[in-house]
Amino acid sequence: MESGLFSQVGGSGVSTGRVMAEDAFEAVVGAHHAEIRRYLLRITARASDADDLSQETFLRAFRAYRALPPGANVRAWLFTIATNLGRNHFRAQSRRRRAYAAVALEAPVGAPDRADGRLMADEARARVEQVIGGLPEKQRLAFIMRKMHELDYAEIGTSLRCSEESARAHVFQALRKIRKGLDGHLPVGTEPRS
Amino acid sequence: MSKVPASCREIEPHLLASAMGEAVPPAVERVRAHVAECRGCREELARYRAVEGMVHTVRRAPLPGDDATLARAQLTARLADLRSRLVSFGIFPSPLGPLLIGRSEVGVALVQYLPASGSLGGHVRRLLGEEAVEDPAATEGLRAELIEYLEGRRVRLDWVLDPRRMRSDFQRRVLEATAALPYGAVTSYAGIAVRIGAPSAVRPVAQALRWNPLAIVIPCHRVIGSTGDLTGYAGKRVELKQRLLAVEGVRALPAGHHDFKVHREAMYTLMNGEVEYCLPTCGSLSEHPLADLTLFGTRERAEAAGFAPCTSCRPDLHPLPA
Repeated sequence: MESGLFSQVGGSGVSTGRVMAEDAFEAVVGAHHAEIRRYLLRITARASDADDLSQETFLRAFRAYRALPPGANVRAWLFTIATNLGRNHFRAQSRRRRAYAAVALEAPVGAPDRADGRLMADEARARVEQVIGGLPEKQRLAFIMRKMHELDYAEIGTSLRCSEESARAHVFQALRKIRKGLDGHLPVGTEPRS
Repeated sequence: MSKVPASCREIEPHLLASAMGEAVPPAVERVRAHVAECRGCREELARYRAVEGMVHTVRRAPLPGDDATLARAQLTARLADLRSRLVSFGIFPSPLGPLLIGRSEVGVALVQYLPASGSLGGHVRRLLGEEAVEDPAATEGLRAELIEYLEGRRVRLDWVLDPRRMRSDFQRRVLEATAALPYGAVTSYAGIAVRIGAPSAVRPVAQALRWNPLAIVIPCHRVIGSTGDLTGYAGKRVELKQRLLAVEGVRALPAGHHDFKVHREAMYTLMNGEVEYCLPTCGSLSEHPLADLTLFGTRERAEAAGFAPCTSCRPDLHPLPA
């Protein structure tokens, strides 16, 4: 009996539509998983959180993928899902002290690639990361999406459920704070390079 | 801090945009003109450009923990699991009212009657849970075959089935024994109990058949009461059972209130374990409980199931009145 009823093989009624959708989703995972995880790593600063949330992002995306209109901006859509999961995660952890300091990711390896190398001292870079880590949530997320992942303001607005203008304002505000946080590390009285 | 001139305040957002390379050309021009005159803003622009450079370096720097290999492998496994559970379903009209067919990656997972009216949404949710996706195309081939079956133009549904909605190993055994009943044949609940080697488990067998995830496909309509009464089907819709049996050539006549009865004296009869089918009057057959027997509505069905006419009662020479 074990090999009877439920292992019959018969040709019938298998639509290929489903299979095609799944192959397409494989391609989505291949194209975007590493970047989405990197984004989540930047916003959570924990590899284990980035692992969990990136998986959750794609599991949710898989369930909703078939309802996505053709030609939709899949990458921006994934960022929206990841952002929502990230924010829920922060909310769930809000009572715990968030290890923002840990956002000061270790000093990067290799020499700075800019001519004004003196500004790229590890100290200054660590300071940038620290300031980013200490930004209010929306500014931080908007800034990371804009400056680390080059999403446009409309996409960022969608992710944060705000207008394009607000998204831009968040990024600009973040920049102002970083600029303030770097007082003493920035050139004073030099002519702007162009 | 000294007061910032209005012109500097006004130019500030453009200055930021300019430093980031996001300003439109007219704004770039305004910033250029302003900083040519204003030393403070010129320095500020230089600082923002420096910030931009640092941010760029942070972005390019290797990110500790940036190894997606493990997460990707886990994701692949979880997606495979999710996929195999995900049910695509279609709802369509049939001679027996609206039907739902659900299929997973494994096989056909669900065939269910739906209420003829009212909201199907909640009903479907209860049947399928959250992982279901309506996709009529995925079940179209199955739908076509099932309709042929219900119209009597097809006697087999050679479908690969997904057994994961079985509630227990016992239920699985019951349904497997039920699936083994030939087209056009009936036996009793007790007959199924005998076939699974649990002759005293008549009630549990009936219980197990009350929830048949694969209605029609696993022919629980071929299992009837020991007296020949059809008893229950799909809740209180015993008339569906009568119609399904009629399609297969098994006549059940109205009996009492809301029930139908298969009359043994009108059925070709097979003693379980025998290879020849008989007239119901052959030998001592009529004294056996239905559990020991399989009844066929027509000779064609008995012979299609691989049984030969009995050489003593000769149902081939003395067929039952149609």
